[in-house]
Order: sequence, then C-alpha cells, then structure tokens
Amino acid sequence: MAENGEPWGASEAELDPVEYTLRKRLPHRLPRRPNDIYVNMKTDFKAQLARCQKLLEGSGGARGQGGCPEIYIHGLGLAINRAINIALQLQAGSFGALQVAANTSTVELVDELEPETNTREPLTRTRNNSAIHIRVFRVTPK
Amino acid sequence: MSNAREKKHAKKMRNQPTNVTLTSGFGITDEKGVKHHNGNEKSFHYQKQEPHAGAAQHQQPKSTHVSSEPCMNEQPSKGHCKGEKGKGQAGWRGGHQGATREIPKYITASTFAQARAAEINAMLKAVTQKSSNSLVFQTLPRHMRRRAMSHNVKRLPRRLREIAQKEAEKTEHQKKEHSKNKCRKARRCHLNLLLEFNRRQKKNVWLETHIWHAKRFHMVKKWGYCIGESPTVKSYRASYRAMTNHCLLQDLSYYCCLELNGKEEEILKALSRMCSIDTGLTFAAVHCLSGKRQGSLVLYRADKYPEEMLGPITFIWKSEDGTITTPINRKLWLWTHPTLKQDILTELKVVCQCVPLPEVAASIPEVVLTPPEEKSHIEQTKNCKKRKRDDGEKNANNPVKKIVGDGTRNPFQPYSWTSPATGIVISDLTMEMNRYRLIGPLSHSILTEALKTASLYTGIGDAETLPHSWWIETCKNPDRVAVHHHQEAIFELLGGIASPAEIPAGTILGLTVGDPRVNLPQKKSKALPNLEKCQDNEKVRQLRLEGVPVECSHSFIWNQDICKSVTENKISEKELNQMRSELMVPGSQLNLGHRESKIPILLIQQPGKVTGEDRLGWGSGWDILLPKGWGMAFWIPFIYRGARVGGLKEGLIHSRYKGAPSIPDDYPDCPAGILFATEQENNLLEKYKRHPPAKRPNYVKHGTLSPFRCPWEQLTRDWESRIKAQEESPVSPCSSANGKSDTGKEDTCVVEGEQVPQLTCETEALQDSPGEPEEMMDTDSQGATMSRDTTDEDICGKNGGRAKSTFNVLRNRKLLKYLSAWCQPVGRRNQAVLRASRMHQQELTRATCLSILCSYPRSLVWVSLSLLRKGNPELHTMICIPSKEDFLRLNEDRLYCGPQESKHSDPFKAKARKQKEKKKTEKGQKQERGTAGESRCTKGCSEVIPGLWLGPLPNITDHCSRTLLGFVTQGDFSLAAGCGRALGFVSLTGLLEMLSSQPADKRGLVLLRTPASLQYRFASIIIDI
Repeated sequence: MAENGEPWGASEAELDPVEYTLRKRLPHRLPRRPNDIYVNMKTDFKAQLARCQKLLEGSGGARGQGGCPEIYIHGLGLAINRAINIALQLQAGSFGALQVAANTSTVELVDELEPETNTREPLTRTRNNSAIHIRVFRVTPK
Repeated sequence: MSNAREKKHAKKMRNQPTNVTLTSGFGITDEKGVKHHNGNEKSFHYQKQEPHAGAAQHQQPKSTHVSSEPCMNEQPSKGHCKGEKGKGQAGWRGGHQGATREIPKYITASTFAQARAAEINAMLKAVTQKSSNSLVFQTLPRHMRRRAMSHNVKRLPRRLREIAQKEAEKTEHQKKEHSKNKCRKARRCHLNLLLEFNRRQKKNVWLETHIWHAKRFHMVKKWGYCIGESPTVKSYRASYRAMTNHCLLQDLSYYCCLELNGKEEEILKALSRMCSIDTGLTFAAVHCLSGKRQGSLVLYRADKYPEEMLGPITFIWKSEDGTITTPINRKLWLWTHPTLKQDILTELKVVCQCVPLPEVAASIPEVVLTPPEEKSHIEQTKNCKKRKRDDGEKNANNPVKKIVGDGTRNPFQPYSWTSPATGIVISDLTMEMNRYRLIGPLSHSILTEALKTASLYTGIGDAETLPHSWWIETCKNPDRVAVHHHQEAIFELLGGIASPAEIPAGTILGLTVGDPRVNLPQKKSKALPNLEKCQDNEKVRQLRLEGVPVECSHSFIWNQDICKSVTENKISEKELNQMRSELMVPGSQLNLGHRESKIPILLIQQPGKVTGEDRLGWGSGWDILLPKGWGMAFWIPFIYRGARVGGLKEGLIHSRYKGAPSIPDDYPDCPAGILFATEQENNLLEKYKRHPPAKRPNYVKHGTLSPFRCPWEQLTRDWESRIKAQEESPVSPCSSANGKSDTGKEDTCVVEGEQVPQLTCETEALQDSPGEPEEMMDTDSQGATMSRDTTDEDICGKNGGRAKSTFNVLRNRKLLKYLSAWCQPVGRRNQAVLRASRMHQQELTRATCLSILCSYPRSLVWVSLSLLRKGNPELHTMICIPSKEDFLRLNEDRLYCGPQESKHSDPFKAKARKQKEKKKTEKGQKQERGTAGESRCTKGCSEVIPGLWLGPLPNITDHCSRTLLGFVTQGDFSLAAGCGRALGFVSLTGLLEMLSSQPADKRGLVLLRTPASLQYRFASIIIDI
C-alpha cells in the first residue's frame, strides 16, 4: 500500500467547494509479487525495516532457505524518503552483502470530483506524483 | 449401590410367599371370607408370622405413617375381636416393639385388615415401582441374560415376559409418534423433498442458495426470510482478510426491488417530494439519470424533510436506448432493505397517487398454485397406497414446481399499482432477481474467470426450434451486437484492474453471459489476477477515469419477458450432468452450442470506504444482479474460483469498517430502526435476566441508566433544556460554556439556571486570559453581542413551532462538512489542511452554533470514534465530554488512560430486598392480601430488576461525573485500524457545546465508557462526509 500522503496541491484553489467534493482514489496497483514491499507513512518504520530484513534473510531455521535474492521497495510521494531510508539501512546493516539500485518513475493519481448539485457530471482529474522503486539485491562475495 | 440393593430387595419381595400377595385382596373381600381364610391356614400363619414381622420391621421407616395412623384411629372404635385377636396382637407387637404404648384391649377386624391391606398395598407398590429407568431385561443378572433379548420376548424368563412385552409395546408406540409417515427413501425422493421444501418456506422465504447455506451457516429467520447469519466454521479474521485481500461473497437476494415505470418528469416530480438536495444528490443527478451510475439517498415521508425518515435506498435508472429515439417511459429501480420496504412502498403509492392494477393481480405466476395441489397430494397418499402410484403418474404430467422467487406472495394481493393521474406504474419485484455481492480486490478476477460473455448466434434458419429466441433476435440487430461487443471488451479489461476501487463509484455494466456451469473447474481453485492482462494502456486508463460508457450499461435484465424466458429455459442440473457424462473425453469442456443459455446480468460497482482519510477504497466490490432461478448456477462457480462466503455478521463488519451505518441498526429515526431497537432491548434484557444478580453487572452502581437501549429522544430533549437554561442565564454565552465545563469538573450533578452565573462569574476572569485562542476570542465577542438579540426570538420561535417531540438525524451535507472541519484538532500538522478548508468554511462561533441549533434543535450526528490508546468499545458505550482536568492530566502524562467514574449508590437496593422478602413471605403464607398489595405496588413502578434503573430515567446528561454526549451503536476492536473503533450518534447540541468550549489543539476529544465499566477512555471524534 503506497501512501499518497502528498499535501494538497495548488490546484485545490481552483476547485469550487460548493459544487464539488474531492475524493482521492488509491493509486493504480499492479499485482503484487511476494518480494514487493510498498512503504507507507502509517506503519512504524522499524516494522517495515524488519519486514524487509525478514524477506531477505528467509524465514529462519524452519525451511532453511536463504529468502529472496532480491526485493523491491516502492515508495510514493511522501514515502519516498522513507523508502530510501529503509534501503540504505538494509545496505548498511548487511556488511556489504546487499546492493541497491534505484529507479524513479511518475505515477498518475486519479482524483474524483463528486458533484454537489444534480446538474453537474462527476469529474475526474489526474495529477502526477513521483515514486521510487529500489531494488535491493544480494551480491555474492568475491 | 443403593440402587442395586433396592433392586435386590424388590426381587426378594417379589418372591415372597403367596399369602402376602393374597392379603392385598383382604380389604376388598368381605369379613366372612377373611374369617374363612384365616381359619383354614391358621397354623401355617403362626409359623410364618415371625420372620415376616421381622421383615416388616425393616420396612418400618418407609411405611410408618401409613400403618400407624389408621391404627390410632381404629383404637377407640368398638368392634368384635374373637378369633384373630391373638394373631392381630402378634402382628401388632411385631410392628411396634420399640414403641412404649398401651396395648389395645381389642381391635376391630375389618378396619384392622383394611389398614393392613393399605400397608401391604403401599409396600407392593414400592416393590413394583422401578426406581431406575432401565428395561426389564437390563435388570437381569448377567448369567440370565441372553442374546437378542430385546428383540425376542421369549428369551426372557417367563415371569418377566409380560412386563417386557408391555415395555416393548410402549417404546414402539413412542417411536411411531416421532417418526415420519414415510420411509427415508420416500422422503428423500425428489418430488416429496420439493413438496416439503415448499411447505417449509411458506412463512419465511428461502433464498435460492438456502440449502447451500443451511449446510454451512447458522441460519436465522429474519424479515420474512431465512438468512445465513455467520458460517459455522471459525471465520472472523478469515472473512476480514477476504474483504481486504481476497474476495468475500454475500447473498443479498433478500433485498427488495421496487420498479417505477413512467415518464421521467412525472417520476422525478413525484419523488422530489421524498428527498432533499440537502442530503446529497437526488434522483435527478445527471450521471444517475442517464443510467450510467448507481445512486444512493435517504428517503423521507413526502414533504416532511428533515423529519420522518423512511430509510436509505440505492437506485438505478434504466439507461435510455440509443437506438430508440422515443424515451418516453423510463424505468427506475429502487433497492431497499426488506424492513423498510413496506413504509417506502406505501409512501411511494401516496406520492404517485397509485391504485392497484387489477389485471396484473390476476395473472400471477402459476407457481403459487402449487400449495393446494400439494395438499391434495398428501391427502391422497394417506388414504391408500394404490392410489399413490396413480397420483405419482398424474404428478409426472404436472410436476410440482419448485418455488422460484417469492413463494409467500399472496396471489390475490396485488404487486403492481398504477396511477391514473401520473401514469406511473409501481411494481414490486421482490425476489424476482438475485443479488450477490463480491467484496474485495480479487472480485475482478473471480468475475472474469467465472463468467464468459455469451457467444453470438451465427446459424440461420432453425431459429424457431431453439429456446433462446430473444437472443437470436438481438443477434440480428447490428447495433445490439456492437453494444454486446463493447460490453465484452470492457468486461475483459476489468480483469486487468487490480481493485474495484479504481473504477468510478457506482458504475453499472450490463452484460449477457453464457451458462457459468459449463466452464466450471474440476476442483476448487483460487482465481488470481492475470499479469498479462494488466497492461497499463489507454483503454484501461479510460475505464479508470470515465467509467463505463452509457450504452454499455444496457442489459436485458430490465426486460421482464426475457428474464422469464431465461428462467424457464434453464437447463437443469441433472440434464447438464447427463450431458457431461456422455462426453467422449471425460472431464473435457462441455460444448452446448446454441442450446447454451444466455443470461442477462447487471454488474454494479460498490464503492468501499470513500469518506475519511485512511483506508480509502476499502471494501469495494461488485454487486451482480441475476434473473431468478439462476442463483445456484452462479453461486457455485464463484465459490469454485476462491470466494469466501459471509453472512449477515460479515455484512455488519463490512459496513462497520467502512464507517457506514448498517440497516436497520443505525437508523434510529426510521420506523424499522425503532422496531429494531426495541427488539434488541428485549433480547438483551432477557439475556441479562438469565444471570443471577451476583453474576451480572449492577448497572445502577455503574451509573449506566439504560444499558440496553439508547434513549435518543431523552438525550436530545435533555440537551435542549440544558442549553436553554444556559441561554436564559444573564451572562455572555462564551463564558457560560466555560462555566459549564467547570461544573463538570466539580462533579456537580445538576446544572441549574441559578447555579451557573455564580460559577461563571468566578471563572470568567480566570478563563479569559490563558484559555482561548485569539481567533476564537474576538469572534466570540462579536458573535455574542449579535446572538443575544436573535436567540430570544429563536427560542420563542422554537417553543411555538415545536409540536413534535421526536428527534432526527442530521443529514445535511453542508452542516456536516462544517462539523467535520470543526472536529479536527488544530495541530501543527493539519494547520495547512484547516487553512485550506477554512477558505470556504465558516468559523466555529457562537452565532453559527445558534443558527444551526435553532434550525436543528433536536438532532443527532453520526460520528465515528477512534480510541487513542487502550479500550474496546461495545454496544451502547457512552460518549462523554471530558473535563478540563482530564485534559490537564492527558497533557502531563502521555500514557494517561482516562479518568474513572466513582461508584454510584444503588437507591433501589432496599426496594429490591423488600420485594424479595415480600416474595418469600408470600410463598410461605400464601396470603391473598399480600399478593394484591404486591401486584398493585409492582404495577405502578414495574418490577425491580436488581442492577437496572427503575422507573423513568432522570436527566441522563449529567447523571455521571462527565456530561453525556451520545451513544455508540457499533463498536469493536477494528482489525483494519488496529485499535478500538466505534460508530455512534451524538447530540448535535452537545457536540457544538463541547467543541466551542474545548481548547483548539484538543478539539474533538471525547471520553468513552462501556456500560459495565467505570473506566473512561479517550477517543477522538471524526465526522466523515
């Protein structure tokens, strides 16, 4: 779940509040692989970090597997900062076993404008927000 | 052990010499016979008497009063004692050896014998009476038992045969009473089963998925339907997960559909009287009117807004056909909850000026004719067996139809009404359609996998022989075909969208699909989103932005004739299985070709949580409407694709997490809601009474006045009078508000008009300098002077205008928006938000408050509450206003949980004790006077139930140390939010009062207290709009 905690844009001023109510929609989501992690601002930072670590290290002694060789950390808007933070923390804590590679992108967000009067059609407007996708992967020590 | 001994003893007694048993006849036989008898066996008697007397002595404790009393009586009586004197005395002595009594000089033979006979009778009775409930052959010792003794009486010892025979007959008789009159095979025969099923759903209608549900759910009879309440398996968390991550399926076929058919302007004109634009969009909203979207609103009695609410509904307009240019008659479907249907229907009839349509009433579906037939069938089968077969043959020609749709509908009761004046036809389409709800992000993949759009008809010529003539007709029309292709394309696109929340709310998509049973998977599987379909192309973007175009919302389900033919031409499950078994390759796909049914359906997007800040789009999904008869054919395929099924409870959780009020629980101002509240109160009271007073909370001591019911009316009334008392006091309103919170602090229970000014005068000086933020201050002082003039008039107006004593729920969107903004605390974080919203927002001032209050003097506001720390709110949890002291302590200690209510005294304790004592004495003495007095006393003030408040409630707002603001109607630990969440109503008057007196950074904080606890917990009020 990406957080669209971006503060209200300047476009807000144009909107006539008497005629429309703004309803934000969740960003478009692609099907999620098990090694995708969407960072948000609501969950505790430590918990999210621990989740990533758990994914990378595998589920302990029960299966004996090494976990995922790589994970993707996605952050949107306000959560970009935190995503980067998590990735760097992971890297720092791994003693050189993990590498990061970042990608940025733009995500189109949809806002719904619900009319307040019968005569108006509901509108949708799109705005863009930046996102980051960080690939954290294991490098084999040489 | 004792039992065994008794049995042993009984056996011994049974084998006593015959003379003992013979004496039982003594009392009956005349004196002569006795004499004669005794004379004959005198010598024998004397020998035998001694051991017998000893035995009698053992028996003594049991039969003392039986034996002794007649003796006492007979003593003074004179009689002739001749031959038996000696024997009698001997017997007497044997009986009362230890007793120091005078030996009677003579006794009367007849009475003596009678007494003995009674004694012996009693003994015999004791002997023959079985103390255990075992059968005779079970009492036999092991070495006498034989195989199959219960089956064959002759294997028992002869002396027990008679009793065993009796017992066997008895059990047989009992069995016969319980058993059905037919053997199991006959009962399970399809025809009889169907008859039985039809009979069983006469009172409460079964949904089409009833049998499926009945095997897996706790069923409840509610609202005239049999509905699954919750699954028998543990599934609380699992169904929550299904709603958030997978898919939850619900059968909502019990929802009622009312159809309005007529001219658009006429319908709009009629319905505009029942709703108000204040509460949101009405029937005339452009996007709803075109048939593109579903709308929802709250109906009121005609011209009565904001009072007399009828209930919430959703509605769909039938889209205008693009091909036909004369859209004179429009169709409108209103979907209501069954509890609200009657009220809404009657009001609709009034609004549209309708009368029942006689012709339609006559042409009722023939299904309803089955009950009489069924009755005759049963009667005949009872008469004789031979005719049963004939009857079966007769029935084969005219088989009993399964009730499809509403079986309870009375054939002579009209279900369609027309209005001569406006031309509007109202019809009741209850149970004519199935409605399923899919909730969760995987509902898209389940829908796209389970349903395949119908294949077009390509053959020419043999159109008449095929059953689906309507489909062939449409396939000939190129416009229709184009629409069908368009719908198909959009439906395919849905598979590539990860969540239903990404599509505009209330989107409608019509569709014609093939038989979903044909491509049923072999095993239950889980439908997962297909990565290939998830292309982020222009078409998907279009769908996400614009929704489904108008022409694609067309569906043939609007056409009653087509629906009827689709229902009738359904290939039965049996035939389908037959065809499957005849496949060349077992397990391969069945190809029905043109025989495959085409089913028109309608998909309606349900927006999940749209209000508020967090978890947007939670619980979104799709509703699917099917023609009747096809329920199970769609149900099983959905389940085979991995949908989890929920019942009423899951539906409640869904609406709770969405923050939406559930029907009818959370509509206290509509008739159904009031009914629900009284029912709930009775249930809870019954449950409460089942516990002994020591094992249940004493609500009086907890200060909970009404733990089982929310006294909304009194709450609003108390708040109104409270405010009025403040207004009349000669101080500025601003400081009076402060003073009020002070009174709360000092735990004074009653705020009276005289008391307030003294307090406020003292506090005014204190409060003015540090307390209020600057903006509040100046606006208040301005508003105060202004409002003084207006309020007096307002109050006069209020007193004059208010005739009804009822309350209403505030649904005015504008006001709710203001309230929503006012409830937010002004912190550093949402400063920007507030500033942005303040541009079009009125300030929270005294003047605005008063203007709101005079138009809504007795209103409730729907709020959601989120607990700050600990706490698990329950039903009827009290929402209270925190005092200044609480805020101080909260500031000092961040882990502060909340204040505690001091224990109240129980003024009814003495009364309850008195009543108890009275009851006791009554029981002992059984005085008639006492009961009369008691009943008179209890009639006046009803019976004292220890732990509950007796009689009329006092002023409920200030019964406890914190002022009461409202009640919670739904509350629980929220799995979605990870803390306690509650939904409820607060008094508008109280809310405004509270907000205006609270410091800005703590605004919207309240205290919650569950009925059976003294601990208050902090929570913040959120008004979502």
